[in-house]
Amino acid sequence: MSTPDHARGSWRRILGTLTLAVLLEQMPWSGWALVLRPDFVLVGVLFWVLHQPARVGFATAFFLGLLADFQDGVVFGQHAIAYAVGVYLVTFLRLRLLQFDPYRQAGQLFPILLAVQMTVLLVGWLAVNPPAGLAMLLPVASGTVLWYLVAGFLRLWHGKGLHDQA
Amino acid sequence: MAMPGQLMFARRLGPTARLLIWLLVGLSFVVLDVRYRALDGFRSGFSLLLQPVREAMRAPGDVATEIGGFFTRHRLLQKERDALLAERARLLLDLDAAQDLRRENAELRTLLQLRARPGQQVVRAALLYKGHDWFSQRITLDQGAAAGLRSGLPVVDAHGLVGQVSRVYPRSSDVTLVSSPGHLTPVHVERTGQRGLAAGGGLGQLELRYMPAQTDIRVGDRLLTSGIDRMYPAGIPVARVSRVSRSRSSPYLRVECTPLAGLDRSRAVLLVLVAQPQVATP
Repeated sequence: MSTPDHARGSWRRILGTLTLAVLLEQMPWSGWALVLRPDFVLVGVLFWVLHQPARVGFATAFFLGLLADFQDGVVFGQHAIAYAVGVYLVTFLRLRLLQFDPYRQAGQLFPILLAVQMTVLLVGWLAVNPPAGLAMLLPVASGTVLWYLVAGFLRLWHGKGLHDQA
Repeated sequence: MAMPGQLMFARRLGPTARLLIWLLVGLSFVVLDVRYRALDGFRSGFSLLLQPVREAMRAPGDVATEIGGFFTRHRLLQKERDALLAERARLLLDLDAAQDLRRENAELRTLLQLRARPGQQVVRAALLYKGHDWFSQRITLDQGAAAGLRSGLPVVDAHGLVGQVSRVYPRSSDVTLVSSPGHLTPVHVERTGQRGLAAGGGLGQLELRYMPAQTDIRVGDRLLTSGIDRMYPAGIPVARVSRVSRSRSSPYLRVECTPLAGLDRSRAVLLVLVAQPQVATP
């Protein structure tokens, strides 16, 4: 939640994490690491949409989607559309998602990431080619794990336990 | 009570309306790119922006390789040197034979009054980045228009054909691999001379299409580029036949091949500067 105290630092934090995500994707991944690589940028964008909806929204997601389209060498708009869908879903489920502990939150994120990847698949299919194989669903799983790690780390950072005390 | 980030009075569009607007924008991007190829300038802009970043991010891997190479055992190096010397001796023998053949070929060509094949120039390039594209298989190289590259040039490594340059940026270029789904390569079978089309099947495999059922083709046959269509120079090794099967329902054989080039492994490749490349599939 943005309070005036946090407002100054949060822009820097948002920019920092998103830049880090873009940098991570620019590494020369190859082989299995490439197949399993989670979509760092997507997880970053959705995270900030969840926690800072007034600052990160459709426009940021769309631009970063265009960047993802460039770096994968695919049709412009493919990831951009999919990221916009992801932002919409997170906005829609925002209050619900914020109530969960990281483990369940990641569980709820799984269908959202799946929907985003399916949108990528659909747009690519309509615009270019049928996809080769179902390996494109693996980043959904790794993205869910990444979300769990990020959300869990953040809770520990703030001194809360990893799980909700009932 | 109003939540922070949520206004008391609705003054802006709801999320659904905004989603629809962005979907429309996205769709227009797709149409502009696929139909009209209008966004190539945009792509070049991104490539200029990301080129230094990618080169910087490649550094940790390079340093690790360097350190790994430093600790390579002396014995291994010696063994490698011996193998290289043996290979050099063998290649020198082959070279003599090749010079002889070239002389003979030149004579025959003059007899047939054919044009001599223009001398081929090559450009060296290194793998810069590998994309996460599920619909075609591409790699990005660190040489671009500045080194004289054009769209359509063939890319080879030490073992065979890697692919074809599909997009050129000022200082980098995208290469579509031969195994990319739907990418066609005109080939002939080295043993019999039978011509055909090798199509990428995704997943690092190729398929030799439209081979009639009575064709003489066996597992282990090598496929070379045929030079038809002037896309690739003739005689570059492309793939080796790995499986041949007949089906009752189709008049054609099903021929699966494995690419010879290290599509997944090679980090350094050569680009052959042919005179007039033609783009096969964008």
